[in-house]
Amino acid sequence: MVLIVNENYDDAGHEDPGHPERPSRTNAARSAIADLHLGSDLVTAPFRVASRAELLLVHHGNYLDELGAFCYDGGGDIDQDTYATYDSWEIAKSAAGAGLSVIDAMRARDDAVGFVVTRPPGHHALADRAMGFCLLNNVAIAAAALVRRGERVLVLDWDVHHGNGTQQIFWNNPEVLYVSTHQSPLFPGSGFAGEVGGWNAIDRTVNIPLPSGATGDILQRALEELAAPVIEDFAPTWVLVSAGFDAHRADPMAELQLTSGDFAGLAHLATSFAHQPGRVAMFLEGGYDLDALRDSLHATLAAALGATTSTESRSNGGPGAEEVTRAARERRAAIEALHILETSERAP
Amino acid sequence: MSVARTIAVGFDGSRESESAVRWALLEAHQPHDDVVVVHAAGMLEHLHGALSRDVTPPRVLVLARECNFNEMHLRWFVDDGDACSVLLRAGAPPINADLLVVGSRGKGHRAELLLGSTSLEVVQNATMPVVVVPTHSSL
Ligand SMILES: [Zn+2]
Repeated sequence: MVLIVNENYDDAGHEDPGHPERPSRTNAARSAIADLHLGSDLVTAPFRVASRAELLLVHHGNYLDELGAFCYDGGGDIDQDTYATYDSWEIAKSAAGAGLSVIDAMRARDDAVGFVVTRPPGHHALADRAMGFCLLNNVAIAAAALVRRGERVLVLDWDVHHGNGTQQIFWNNPEVLYVSTHQSPLFPGSGFAGEVGGWNAIDRTVNIPLPSGATGDILQRALEELAAPVIEDFAPTWVLVSAGFDAHRADPMAELQLTSGDFAGLAHLATSFAHQPGRVAMFLEGGYDLDALRDSLHATLAAALGATTSTESRSNGGPGAEEVTRAARERRAAIEALHILETSERAP
Repeated sequence: MSVARTIAVGFDGSRESESAVRWALLEAHQPHDDVVVVHAAGMLEHLHGALSRDVTPPRVLVLARECNFNEMHLRWFVDDGDACSVLLRAGAPPINADLLVVGSRGKGHRAELLLGSTSLEVVQNATMPVVVVPTHSSL
């Protein structure tokens, strides 16, 4: 397998001194990729900026206008977490374009794993609002572009936070299956197991909330037991991963206890979910401890490429088994309730 | 005799939100009503641990005393999320607010000029009555 990554570009202009979502994150990710020493098996997808039409697949036009105007006016704090600068608009459009470019390069062949090294992250961005460090929803824009080509897309989100933006954007879209593992309770306060999708997309959202302290064994088993059967039924033609690394035990943003070895396991699992080779593209989301980010990404890509590498051993023994059992029960109940409502709505 | 209600009020530490809390304590409140001061904990707040979940912040207690408000009827509630989602959730369990009071501007108010204000979005999407207390409220 070869690794396709987006061409490097300057994202240093999107910075707020002291803010954890900082330019050194993409530098750490780039160095993890360089350390794989892939030689000619590392392919670069050309730089491009997402067009307005591509952004409109996901975002509202007036939000795009206002965000652009806010940045050109000098930017500032958007909410208690999220900032934008003069350069942020161009950088955010480049991040969205990077995902599209990597997928274009992957479509031309069937032996590639894609990784999109961009910031700011995207999975909290709603159709009409920035939040949680995110301005444009990069993974959603890529998924929507694939759906327009007739593809069925699994978005697997293993960032420690629930990707409320991605969930909301595809809530009623049966062509996209959204699966998220996340710490709960935690920002953004959504992602309960009973959130299973809208009327047109019942069971197209799978949420696996995990308690503080949960380890990789629990997370992996929860994906295998709760998500894998739904994914099997859905039969995705593409797998996009919202690859945040803030579930690592060293990350200051949350309290899950994953190791880089656990991310290698998740990469194997993501690959197994793809029905064809060469159809797994990963997008950098969170990950705020630079060493953990570098090691976890290195382990993830080595695993996805089928290379062997030494990583931290996998974590186990943490809490969460009961929560996963309860989540399975809540999911079934929510799906049943929606089906009953659906039947009664359609009755004469 | 009126039925006791639950009044939720958003608090982010800004002066605007203090005006909203004062208004809730002085104007909205009737005997036996509970006032729940709601605070949205964002990602950075989780990182920095800014406000306790269990202990009402001193500033809120000072406001209550200034308004001669019986602390027995005051609750402090921290919910994870952005301000807008957290305030909208006040209408649902566990708060079940009958009325929501918000300041006209929250933190990041420069962005609100272009990116839409939290209070406006709350008003548009709320399932309960909402009072927006102007920034230059005399309270
Ligand atoms: Zn995250």
